[in-house]
Amino acid sequence: MTDTKEQIVFSEIPMRTWRWLGVNEAKMPACVLDEAGGGRLITVPKGTKAEAVVVYREELAGKIRVELEEGAEFHLIRAVLSGDHPHADVVEAVCEKDALFRYTAVEAGGSEAASKLFVNLAGEGSRADVSALYFADGKRRVDMNYIIRQEGRHTDATMMVHGAMTGESEKVFRGTLDFIKGSEGSVGREREEVMLLSPKVRNRSVPLMLSGEADVDGHHAVSIGKMDEGKLFYLMSRGIDMEEAKKLVVEAALAPVLTRIPDKELAGEIREEIEGRIADDK
Amino acid sequence: MAKKKTFIEDIERTLYDIRNEDRSVYKSDSGLTEEIVRDISARKNDPEWMTEFRLKALDVYNHTELPTWGPDLSELNMDNIVTYVRPDAKMVGSWDEVPEDIKDTFDRLGIPDAEKTSLAGVGAQYDSEVVYHSIQESLTKQGVVYTDMETALREYEDIVKEYFMKLVPPKDHKFAALHGAVWSGGSFVYVPEGVQVKIPLQSYFRLNAAGAGQFEHTLIILEKGASLHFIEGCSAPKYNVTNLHAGCVELFVKEGARLRYSTIENWSRNMMNLNTKRALVEKDGIIEWVSGSFGSHVSMLYPTSILHGENAKCEFTGVTFAGHGQNLDTGATVVHAAPHTSATINTRTISKDGGIATYRSGVKVTSNAPFAKCSVNCESLMLDSESRSDTLPTMDIQGDEADIGHEAKIGRISDEAVYYLMSRGISEDEARAMIVRGFVEPIAKALPLEYAVEMNNLINIELEGTMG
Repeated sequence: MTDTKEQIVFSEIPMRTWRWLGVNEAKMPACVLDEAGGGRLITVPKGTKAEAVVVYREELAGKIRVELEEGAEFHLIRAVLSGDHPHADVVEAVCEKDALFRYTAVEAGGSEAASKLFVNLAGEGSRADVSALYFADGKRRVDMNYIIRQEGRHTDATMMVHGAMTGESEKVFRGTLDFIKGSEGSVGREREEVMLLSPKVRNRSVPLMLSGEADVDGHHAVSIGKMDEGKLFYLMSRGIDMEEAKKLVVEAALAPVLTRIPDKELAGEIREEIEGRIADDK
Repeated sequence: MAKKKTFIEDIERTLYDIRNEDRSVYKSDSGLTEEIVRDISARKNDPEWMTEFRLKALDVYNHTELPTWGPDLSELNMDNIVTYVRPDAKMVGSWDEVPEDIKDTFDRLGIPDAEKTSLAGVGAQYDSEVVYHSIQESLTKQGVVYTDMETALREYEDIVKEYFMKLVPPKDHKFAALHGAVWSGGSFVYVPEGVQVKIPLQSYFRLNAAGAGQFEHTLIILEKGASLHFIEGCSAPKYNVTNLHAGCVELFVKEGARLRYSTIENWSRNMMNLNTKRALVEKDGIIEWVSGSFGSHVSMLYPTSILHGENAKCEFTGVTFAGHGQNLDTGATVVHAAPHTSATINTRTISKDGGIATYRSGVKVTSNAPFAKCSVNCESLMLDSESRSDTLPTMDIQGDEADIGHEAKIGRISDEAVYYLMSRGISEDEARAMIVRGFVEPIAKALPLEYAVEMNNLINIELEGTMG
């Protein structure tokens, strides 16, 4: 039986930095990580197209590995909506030539939630299209470590992350684009937009870009700020009250991710969950 | 079609590599022990509190681990480093009195010439001691002090005691502790309230002895409403043994004061450059950093600005050029610790021939710093795939009134841009040269003219179009 208080390193930044920033690693209770088990393996055969939806509600942990064969396309929609217990999960994907891995993630649960994504664009012309939203409220702690390794030639990676933080929540997002020597002609784009809704939040953003290849085009950007007051005033001038206007602005900010979820029922559930929490946070 | 690659020459180093015979009158034993520290302190006639300070710092050094991040420092063996080298020269106020070979060195580096034409004061350090110091009389009359740290410790002991290593305490990291134990030389500048020093002051640090360390301490205090531009230059000839530079710069920018601190660093490629620079900026104060890192084998350099007073500002402009055998880990950190503080960080890094250039930064907004604004822009250019270029910025933001933006790009010289310029009748080589010059232009613009020219000479962008 594992000691319930024992914390072990769940994920690490690919390149360490100053300790005082507290972003080098995420620790989780050992008992949570034990729940992950062997995980699930999904193989997407050559030239086929598929999608899967994984929603974590009660599970403490999970692990999914996706292997995409040549020319395969796979869309993984993964949401954490679990209640007030810790949650940790890992997603790994490896893409062969011309394969496309689409990933849509929702981080909206867990008292402390840690997630790890590792995509290896091993084959020439393989692509990763990652889009995630997080909503942190109350005393929630969200920790994300996303890494896209661009190994093949002419690979293409996009990592778009939209988040909103309220209450006394804390969040760390590390997003890495790693251009390996030999990944000639590869392109990588990473963007994080964070909306701060409460004076007691703590947001940490670490966009890494590592490169051993000269012939690449990499770009990352982070924008952190409060809600646009102009938008709020506009909506309020149209007769919408403050609370409702706030909800609309957050919803609009997270919409680019929610619209990727083909299951409208699930998208609706996530939207309602987040709206409800904004209302509770008055 | 194979893509064309650009060939850029290494920095021309001949000028810096001329070494003089080591005619030091005293060298400490290599390594670091309490006896050595006591001996340095005694030879420097330290007041008792400074001897105590050194010994405490040594204790911290002995109990502090090496950093767990950044470049590999295992080549550095303190047992082989001579921490104190006293050159055969006293500090004087006239170049004629400086021993010939030492004067020739500074002549070649252009320091006395620059002094005549564009500087209001000069300090020149050779190994562990300052050999020359001068300041224009008009500034002295206004109460400006510009002297070496040893003189400051004698003549302005109270001020030194109040500020020395208060901003960078020895327990900050292992090399800050080392500095505290064996520091020697460096500059002390004090600008009284309201005094505007219109012409720059410059200190030049030259390390001649092989296997030695240089640990100069720079302490600059700008009182309310004062302004100053301070320039620091560093170089050393190349040896086959490791040299160490662990300097420390502490800048105090009081209310409404403005300090520009420019550095062109061109250490030789056997140098471990583990330097710590920090500024404390009070209300309405401004710190401007201009930092060029060209030399050294390994560098770890991240000037820090603590924006401590309301409306304090920081502007950081940096360029790093990592060539063969170089691992240059540079960047900046900013701590927003008061409302309405703002910072701009703008950097360019170039890596070639197996050089490793890392941009590392930290932006922290504390919970009592609403309306903080920070904008970071870093761009990296890799000239071949033997090299590495890594970008590792961290933002740690508390509260909801901050406005933080970060942007980074990495890439090669764009073919489209080259073709466009060529279509306008410019040769391919010149087109590539124009693009590289354009890439470092934001930094060149921030330098005074003479130094912009020096930087251009340093980069010595000799471009040849070769088929790669």
